[in-house]
Amino acid sequence: MYGDKHIGDTLLKVDNITLAFGGVKALTDISFEIREHEILAIIGPNGAGKTSMLNVINGFYHPQQGRIMFRGAERKAMRPHLAAKQGIARTFQNVALFKGMSTLDNIMTGRVLKMKSNLFQQAIYWGANQREEIEHREVVEKIIDFLEIEAIRKTPVGRLPYGLQKRVELARALAMEPDLLLLDEPMAGMNVEEKEDMCRFILDVNDEFGTTIALIEHDMGVVMDISDRVVVLDYGRKLADGSPDEVRANQDVIDAYLGVSH
Amino acid sequence: MFYREAGQFKTSYSADQAIFPIRQDRLGLLLLGLVAVFAVPALANNYFLETIFVPFLVFAMAALGLNLLTGYCGQLSLGTGGFMACGAFFSFKLATAFPELHIVVVFLLAGLGTAGVGVLFGLPSLRIKGFYLAVATLAAQFFLVWMFNKFNWWTNYSPSGVISAPPREIIPGFFVTGNEASPAAKYVFLLIFVAVLALIAKNLVRSRTGRSWMAIRDMDIAAEIIGIRPLWAKLSAFAVSSFYIGISGALWAFVYTGSVEALAFQIDRSFQVLFMVIIGGLGSILGSFLGAAFIVLLPILLNNAPAALGIPLKVELISHLEFMIFGALIIFFLIVEPHGLARLWQIGKEKLRLWPFPY
Repeated sequence: MYGDKHIGDTLLKVDNITLAFGGVKALTDISFEIREHEILAIIGPNGAGKTSMLNVINGFYHPQQGRIMFRGAERKAMRPHLAAKQGIARTFQNVALFKGMSTLDNIMTGRVLKMKSNLFQQAIYWGANQREEIEHREVVEKIIDFLEIEAIRKTPVGRLPYGLQKRVELARALAMEPDLLLLDEPMAGMNVEEKEDMCRFILDVNDEFGTTIALIEHDMGVVMDISDRVVVLDYGRKLADGSPDEVRANQDVIDAYLGVSH
Repeated sequence: MFYREAGQFKTSYSADQAIFPIRQDRLGLLLLGLVAVFAVPALANNYFLETIFVPFLVFAMAALGLNLLTGYCGQLSLGTGGFMACGAFFSFKLATAFPELHIVVVFLLAGLGTAGVGVLFGLPSLRIKGFYLAVATLAAQFFLVWMFNKFNWWTNYSPSGVISAPPREIIPGFFVTGNEASPAAKYVFLLIFVAVLALIAKNLVRSRTGRSWMAIRDMDIAAEIIGIRPLWAKLSAFAVSSFYIGISGALWAFVYTGSVEALAFQIDRSFQVLFMVIIGGLGSILGSFLGAAFIVLLPILLNNAPAALGIPLKVELISHLEFMIFGALIIFFLIVEPHGLARLWQIGKEKLRLWPFPY
């Protein structure tokens, strides 16, 4: 399955990113790159700046210094919806679904950028808008099949158990057909079976759609198993960057995780 | 319900996305429509039509508009009265300045004008949320009523500040406004007009626009990540909502009361519509109608109940009792079901779906 996996050129490159909130430096001089079709894991102890890093890539936070190159072009100041337009999708650490809507509507919302009908066509509904709704419904149904959530299609997401909510959130991100998928702790709070399912889905997404994935995860077993490369952050600085084996052997990383005797 | 969807299989997505996917529901709605269009005007007397059905439909329209904004997009607004006044005065100016313009066109244009005003007063929503936004929309309420009261250009320099709806026909010989309009004609006109606009509202909320509004309501950060522009979603909600509320104000002035002054659209009007939306059910088209029915009908019912039951009570006592029972009922409904009558209806349907079996 991985033998013929082709990791391409750099998709996104962050260069000397520094982000501070007042006097607190969340990120200091971080540089790394995400290559096409790879699974990159960002790890680090709590408060290392992993989520801040994703927020910077996403356009939520605006770093004081540094550049971000996406598909070879430098990105100017960014708003999250512009990042979405460029093909960056994201899931959140604590599930951020639209609680009042059904699973189907949540995933359909992910298609918002792909839908073109205007307000008047939508008001009339029949005709162009209905054709478009059905066309996107077909895509959404494929994703529902893919993630095996057929049974909860019409259930309001507020009623779903946590593991399924995480899966619906992944479905919503996939509905955007992203080039780069950012997953913030996709397996937090799950039991072993749910984690195995989620790993399978992440690998399948990567494999079948060729989506580039950057994920934050605390479960080292998962990280070492599924990722092609690992970036380690600690206190807002980058400690290491390389294949899982290289990172595992890195002395700084071992010190950061296990502590150093003084 | 007493009936079930068993045996009704959907084989296409369009069938699955229908507003009423169950056949019995469609038949029931058709029946309700026929009764409303033919039986009600034939059987009900003028008093019932003028004091119950006409205000109910006008309020349902206003509640529908506010529900789109507050229930679907999550933007709390207390400017409803002001926007209704906009609709009323815009349509008055349009109807008197261009007498040849068809009355429906006048109402739609007044609605569009109000939509513009709504967008203007919706701009603060891009920065502030929740209760703070509600306070900001109060500015719209007070400013608009003050403006229509202060500048008598809006009333064509009428000394009393009251505007009277000029008589207009919907089709030649069939008056819907002015003295010659019969209550039945007003009612049927309103019914069809409101039904069409309710259908449009339903279409909007089950399309991309409605999903964007609900996304902003439920989790604005995640909505932005998906690519929804908060600016566009919030302002379009303000525009569409104000369009509906503006038309309801125009209908209020032209069809319901026939003559109106700016003070009819004070802050208590805003609260009245907000209560309809909350009691009826936030985020539900049906809820707007249920809420309007509750607030319009219940006081009348309570008022007439003692006489109808043959209990001799003093008139003052009845009106005091009316307030007490009405208030108690509102509290009761909110405790039993904070999500409104629409949710109560939905729960009832789900229960009946299984009844009499336990599961």
